[in-house]
Amino acid sequence: MDRRIATTRTKACARGLALALALAASAQQAPAQPVPAPLTKACQPGNASISEDNPLPNVAAALAQRKTLRILAMGAAPGRISRHGGGYTEVIEAMLQGALKGVNVVLINRGISGELAASAAVRMKIEVALDDPDLVLWQVGTNDALAFVPVDSFIATVKDQIDWLRAHNVDVALVGLQFAPEMLRDAHYKELREALRKLAAQEKVIIIRFFEAMQIINQAAGKEPVSEQFERDEAGYNCLAQYVAHAITLGTFAKAGLPRREPTPPGK
Amino acid sequence: MPREPNAVDFWRGFALITIFIDHVPGLLYSQYTMTNYSLSDAADLFVFLAGWSMRLMADGEGRSMPTRLVMLRLFGRALELYAAQVLITMIAIAMLALSAIELSNPLLLEWHNASAVFNDPVPTHIGLAILTHQLGYFDILPLYVVLMLMAPFFALVDRIAPLWVLPVSFAIYFVALAFQITLPTWPVSGTWFFDPLAWQFTFVLGFVLARGDRGVGAWARRNIGWLRLIALPIVVAAMYAAHFNHLWDPTNVPSPKLFFLLDKAYATPPRLIQFLALVAVFSAAFPYIRRAAAAPWVGRAVMGLIDLLAMLGRNSLYVFCIGSLLSLSAQIVRYYGRGSVGSDTAVLILGVLIMAATAWIAESRRRARKPAHAA
Repeated sequence: MDRRIATTRTKACARGLALALALAASAQQAPAQPVPAPLTKACQPGNASISEDNPLPNVAAALAQRKTLRILAMGAAPGRISRHGGGYTEVIEAMLQGALKGVNVVLINRGISGELAASAAVRMKIEVALDDPDLVLWQVGTNDALAFVPVDSFIATVKDQIDWLRAHNVDVALVGLQFAPEMLRDAHYKELREALRKLAAQEKVIIIRFFEAMQIINQAAGKEPVSEQFERDEAGYNCLAQYVAHAITLGTFAKAGLPRREPTPPGK
Repeated sequence: MPREPNAVDFWRGFALITIFIDHVPGLLYSQYTMTNYSLSDAADLFVFLAGWSMRLMADGEGRSMPTRLVMLRLFGRALELYAAQVLITMIAIAMLALSAIELSNPLLLEWHNASAVFNDPVPTHIGLAILTHQLGYFDILPLYVVLMLMAPFFALVDRIAPLWVLPVSFAIYFVALAFQITLPTWPVSGTWFFDPLAWQFTFVLGFVLARGDRGVGAWARRNIGWLRLIALPIVVAAMYAAHFNHLWDPTNVPSPKLFFLLDKAYATPPRLIQFLALVAVFSAAFPYIRRAAAAPWVGRAVMGLIDLLAMLGRNSLYVFCIGSLLSLSAQIVRYYGRGSVGSDTAVLILGVLIMAATAWIAESRRRARKPAHAA
């Protein structure tokens, strides 16, 4: 009996030791615990417009295996968005570098302003072959909306591209259409925006709904004269950079299986 | 009198109209341009013919000039192109600003890389002046400026050791592709849409192939029959592949990858080979088109087309500049008119008419100046 207990204890100890060793080994292999990139107070109201429930398995794998994260930025790229220098992509890179301690973040900007999704899709395949990214950050839709590309054709292009990226082990995060109050009245713009949101939900892809986020921030700021619009756009892109960095770190969380904040039940 | 229509002017006119259409994204007629049926497009044709024209200058009026004068003249052409680029860029920025105000839409300020101009004007204006900041669809002239800055060097090599022009150019092309060397953009980080170090090879190919008495140009003329036999299946296969999007997976190619990819920025070998095949096949076309001008029914229309395209080609810089601004106007008009078949047709017809009027005014001005000089 005692021997049996001793044997059981020995087995339990061995199992425990094996588990501890396995955990230690996995802890060594695991990426640095990603801390969500912070959002400034001004940008927090728009945070509701980010879908952050979708994991980024290839990003998580890259962090675990290489401690390097390669991001390919496609789509329109605004200029410098911080008074101290640094463009939209540089700000994202710096934020991710801060949030993912010990990880080398490389952001390759291949955005071409004015490019339609169909042209960007063709070019993106070549850039993926050349740059070998773990994640594609694709700002898409605004140019297609302004050029009146049919919604079905636009969505088919984006869907095919998401499928192609997945087949090539590359994650994707979409950045939706840009904001301008005048576009609230534009039916085609609205239809395209909505279709992109649905596609992202259906494909379980991170989408930063830039339009909606800016709409919330602008409502908070109130109506301002056009001369102040430029500064507001600059602030908008700054928030966008924060949302992107935030969403990427949360996407990595999702893969790591860390406990997520549960929504508060109604009435509590 | 302007020179008689020839194949170079005709095809350059064709390239100019094609670039105008391709630079209006979403335009109904952009589905029928060269880029939808070929792995190369009008940009390759435009650059190749620029090299061809350089040969006409070097071996024509330049033959009797001392080398340094030829080099100076080419450098002067680079300055002229630079001035044109700065002018049309400033007009384009003003057009975007005016449209944003009139249509009350700040999104137009962010179109085509203009965002940095308005949001961060101090460094961006430096970038505009040194060509490291280019508006979307206004990126061919900066390439052309750099090519013309390289042109005096190639003209010099051509005078000293003509058989070395192509190997030197190929070596630069090879290194650019092997190490992905291109020019950076600033203040917005990125790279040039067209890599001048790679595209100079297309330009130099035009330059050496235009020479009929020796070198590669003479060899190509002697063997044009079987070259066309090889080229035809390449053209047909590329047409099928481009139209139905049956292309190879770019991630599966061996390293160095750029040698096997279809990349416009670097004018990569598969694209260049297909373009040269197109040149071999379509170099036979112009004499037939001229012959069709004598046909009883369609003759007048064909002659009109030849005259129109050749006139555009003879005045390519003016037409290109106006065409670039027309493409931007067309995008604004399409946005305002919501891109219907009617507005697209109007955009195409008006665009070609204005380009033709530009060429006609340029030629009238030259005609008026000549008698004055003679007097």
